[in-house]
This record gives sequence, C-alpha cells and structure tokens, in this order.
Amino acid sequence: MKARYLLTTAAAACALTAFATDANAAGKWDGGDDLATSPLECGTGAAAPGAPMKYDGGQPTHAPNKAGKAITVVDVPKLIGIGYFNATSKGIQDAAKEIGNVKAKTDGPTEAKIDEQIKFIDNSITSGVDGILFAANDPVAIAPVLKKALSKGIHVVGYDANATPGAREWFVNQSPFNGIAKAMVDAMAKETGEDGSFAIVTSTFTTPNQARWIAEMQAYAAKCHPKLQWLETVEAQEDNNLSFNQATTLINKYGDKLKGLFGMTSVATPASAEAVTKAGQCGKVAVVGLATPNAMKPYVHSGCVKSVVLWNPIDLGYAATYVMRAAVDGKLEPGDTSVEAGKLGKLNVINGSEILLGAPFIYDKANIDTFDF
Amino acid sequence: MTAIPVTGAAASRGFLRRFASQEALLALAVIGLAVAVGFVNPRFLAYRNLADILLGNAYIAIAAIGMSMVIISGNIDISVGALIGVLATVSGSLAVAGAPTAVAWLVPLALGILVMAAQGAVVAYLRIPAIVVTLGMLSILKGGLISVTGGKWITDLPQGFHLADLDVLGVPMPVVIMVAATALAAIWMRDTASGRAIYATGGNAEAARLCGVNPQRTVVMVFALHGLFAGLATLVYATQLRVIQSTTPSGLELTIITASVVGGVSILGGAGTVVGSTLAAILIAEITSALVFVNVSPYWTDALRGGLILATVIADIIRRRRRAARGWRT
Repeated sequence: MKARYLLTTAAAACALTAFATDANAAGKWDGGDDLATSPLECGTGAAAPGAPMKYDGGQPTHAPNKAGKAITVVDVPKLIGIGYFNATSKGIQDAAKEIGNVKAKTDGPTEAKIDEQIKFIDNSITSGVDGILFAANDPVAIAPVLKKALSKGIHVVGYDANATPGAREWFVNQSPFNGIAKAMVDAMAKETGEDGSFAIVTSTFTTPNQARWIAEMQAYAAKCHPKLQWLETVEAQEDNNLSFNQATTLINKYGDKLKGLFGMTSVATPASAEAVTKAGQCGKVAVVGLATPNAMKPYVHSGCVKSVVLWNPIDLGYAATYVMRAAVDGKLEPGDTSVEAGKLGKLNVINGSEILLGAPFIYDKANIDTFDF
Repeated sequence: MTAIPVTGAAASRGFLRRFASQEALLALAVIGLAVAVGFVNPRFLAYRNLADILLGNAYIAIAAIGMSMVIISGNIDISVGALIGVLATVSGSLAVAGAPTAVAWLVPLALGILVMAAQGAVVAYLRIPAIVVTLGMLSILKGGLISVTGGKWITDLPQGFHLADLDVLGVPMPVVIMVAATALAAIWMRDTASGRAIYATGGNAEAARLCGVNPQRTVVMVFALHGLFAGLATLVYATQLRVIQSTTPSGLELTIITASVVGGVSILGGAGTVVGSTLAAILIAEITSALVFVNVSPYWTDALRGGLILATVIADIIRRRRRAARGWRT
C-alpha cells in the first residue's frame, strides 16, 4: 500500500514537471498581446513624434462664431458622484475660472449607463449649449447623439473614454499604452535596480487593456532596461482576494529573488501591496502599479509603495476645457499638431484627432492626499 | 437512529465506513499534492506558504459549511456569493461610518441569517425550487449593490475592524474560525436529532415526515444557518484586505458549491459532511497555489477544477449504485 502511494506521488510529481513550462524560455511575457508595440524613448526625453495621421474627427456644422465670447459648456461624464469624475469636474471648473469666459456645469447619470447618458446629452442639445464635454459609457452607442449635437452646431470634445472619432471633434487621451508602460517600467527599474527580477499580477491574459500595457512594457523594458528580469505573470481576475492570494503565492515561490511586483489593475495593485505588507517584505519587494489613490493611501503612507501610476483626472478635465475653448475660438483646427492648455503648456495632437495629456501622473507620499477617488 | 447499543470501536468503524471514504481521500490528496509539488519546488512546503494558503481561502471553507448543509437538505443556493459581497459592503460601511466594531461584525451575521431564512421560507412553504428563488435573490443583490454603491470602493477602514488580522494563541483568526466552525457543525450534524434531520429531509422528505421530522422547518433552519456561515465568511473575507470592493465577487458561489460537491456532499441531497467540504476547499486553494509554483498555465485551473467536480460526482454515483446493489447494508 505504502509503496503504491509513493509511486502515485512520484508519478504526480513527474506529471506536474511535464506540465510545467520553463517560463523564461518563452520569448513573450505572459499576458501581453501580439500587436505591434511602439516603445517611447528612454529616460526623460520628449516623446518621439508618431507618424502623423490625417484628422479623423467630426466638425460641427454652421457653428455660430463665438470666438472670444462667453460660452456655456455642459460636461456629461460616465456617471456623477464618484471621486474620479468629481476630480475631472474640478479640473473643468478650475480651467473655466482661469479662462474666464467659459461657464461649465457637470450633469450626468448617477449610474454608468449609456442610455441615461444619451438622455442627458439630448437634453443639453435641446436646452441649447455651445459645447459638450463627455466621457463615453459606450463608444459606439453614444455616437448618434453626439453627431446630432455636431449637426446643431455644438462643439463636442471627449475625455477619459472615447467615442468613434467621427462623432466628436477632439478627444483628450489620458493614457496612451506606451506612456503608461514607460512610467511603470521606469518606476520599477528605479526601485529594484536595473537588474531586478519582477512578476506581474494582471486580470486575465486576454483582457485587452492589460494585454496591451504588458506588451508595451516588455518592448520598453527590452529597449531601455534590458537587464530587468521578468519572472512570470499570474492571473487574478478583478478579484481582491484572489489578487492577494496570487501575489502572496509569488512572494512565497520566489523568496529573495523577487524584487518587484507589477499590479496591472486597480484591484491587483492594492492587493499586491497588502500581500507584500503581510509578508513583511516592504522595502524588499517593490510594488508598482496602476491604481486609484484612495485604495493606495495606506501603503503609500506606510512607505511600502512608492509609485502609483495613473493620470491626474483633474488635469484631464482641465485640458478638455482648454481644448473646447480652443476649438470654439478656431485656435485648434483639423491638421494642427498642438494646442495651448494653460498651466499644462503645449499639448500634442496624436492619432489624428486626439490630444495627448502628457506623461502619466505618479502619486506619491507628497501628493496622494490631495486626491479623493 | 437505531436503539441497538454499539461499542465505541464498532461505532467508529461504522462511522468510518459510512463517511470517511471521501474525507480520507481528500486528506490524502491534500497531503499527496503538497508532497508532489514539494518535489518540483521545495519552497511550496515552507510553513509560511502552507499557512498563507489556509489563511487566504478560509472564507471559502467557512461558506461551504452552510452550503453543504443546504445541498444535503436537497436544495441549492446560488445567491451566496452576491450575499457575501453585500454583507461585506454593509459591514465596511458601518465601520467607516464610525459604528462600534462589534456592530460592524454582528450586523452582517444577523442580516445573513435574515436574508437566507427568508429564502428558505419561500423554498419550504411556497414550494418554489431553491435554484429559482436564489437565482432571483442573486440578481436582486447584485443589481442592488451596484445601484447603491455605484461601484465605489470602501477604503479607510478603521484598524480595529480587521478581524482577520487577529490571532488566538498564534493561530490566525480565519483558520480558528474555519476549524471551529467545521468541527462544531460536523459534530452537530452527526450527533443531534436536529442535525440528522437535515440528512433525513434531503434523503427522503416524505420518509422524514413520517419519522417526525418537519422538513419545512428543517429547510428554513438550514438556510438560516447557511446565512450565519455566509456572515462569518464575510467577516473573514472583508477584513483581510484594506479595501472592500463593493461589487459582488464574481464566481464565488461556484467556488463554494465546488468545495461542497468535491467534498463529497451529494448533489442529490442526503449525504456528505462539512469535514469533506472544508478539506475540499483547502485542496482547491492548494491546487491554485500549486499551479503557480510549478509554472502551469492558469488556463488549466478551470479545467482541473472541472475535472475534480466530475470525478467526485461520478465517484458519488458509483458509490450509491454499489450501496444500492448491496441493499443498503452498511
């Protein structure tokens, strides 16, 4: 009997070994996609200009000439009442105050529902506004109502979440994939040292945004931090406890070899930070990831996490308002390559009709408490 | 329930024969897997890792205790994952709003009992199949939670709220709760009339009635207890991390049901033990961790879990047939 159990166990061990793949032998980091990558320049140099694309936005028809005149703008985010869109709304108000001749109000659904959002936009068109700012709940479903606004001579600018390009004039893009990738990898290299080994906690290997980021991170790391060593990627859905368990497993598996963890979702990052904290590995295992500030405050304050990567939603709303004003004033027209955006300076046009907000924002001990979302 | 006096040894042998097979198998699997993975990567056997596996998944085992009772009684509940999500949000909101810690801990227990007992009453007295009732409740809880919270997370939880961070004589609280709840439930189900009534109700409700068991009342009691265990699971689940997600953990009910079924609880009702379901919860957690340790693609996780369920159900049915062929002489 005993011999049989031993045999079974040995057989199981062999089977497991056969199953196992040598992670490092694979050329591609698990969880990345196969699309073409465009890594940014190393260091703090300016972003390399992409191949110019023809303007592909939509223009309002017979818009009244309000250049330099007071305008009313309505902002319709995905939903209202949450910290993130409170922050974009604050940015919009800040910019409106600064510009002077812009009157802006935020009015949107209390749930992130596209049908509700369409109603709000439709009402704004009826009540007569000069401009509509939006963050789409659905890029395709929102298009008809935005096109209706354009056809009535209303200016339309998107931020945070795009619509199909023809349905708006401009879109303020907060996070091109290669920008996030660069910020993440640079932060990791800084914290672990150039030859650190790290693992990745993602949602699933096929989640589109995460897969894009991971592929861009690999491309950027190969170009600018070639000695950084990827160990493996684990899936954790968007589940808090599973993320925590997976991160803990990685810490236990690699021990001292593991110098850093990337959290690819706003769930995985705080859960990884908690895992590192509970394992007593703060300062030994760096956590770098995408996350919202509120969930990360405890770890940033304890010093366990040094860099939380995201864009600054206040800047995002601020930039969208400047883009709106410039579009109304005729200072931003199809074919232009940049736009002035107040304190943010000159922002570049990318992908035909998108305005690039700039490098991602790093939340740290000094600034994280000024955000509430 | 016979009145024939039996000696201790005979009783324990009978007990072993009747119940231990699945549990023994699971215990062997838990140990066997640990040894096998240890061969490939010895770090798996580190105390810290084994403890983390238990710690991080105790809430599933705790919830599976109630689920096992529900399934043994001949019912099913697919609302438990959503309920845990709601209870976690309620508990966390209370804590953040400044309620005393005891209130933040006790309200989810009471609410869990209430919601589940109500479902049990609908199942028992209106004779609506449990899968329909709990499917309805699943939608209500899931939709309600998103509507109320807007998906906003609960952060800034007070320090004292974190029950899962406490320990009893060095043993972490989640493990203490898991072991204590399993032991108490197992003894109660085995040795008391009200506990045996669950098996009777699930095995054959009509026969149970003739033997003086009230199947309706038993079902309501089982659901109420299931609510209590869901509440306990919530306390462990919600207090482990510094954030409460405010959305229902997707697929949690399936993980819990899987633990029960793999634990040897017959999906047809009437048989199974909570010792089995706790061991199965541990085994499933161990597999998930092991896959990372031996670099198996996570795509295999679901397939393995599915294989495990099929194997157990088939084994259960074969065992039933054999027993039937032997004329139930156990």
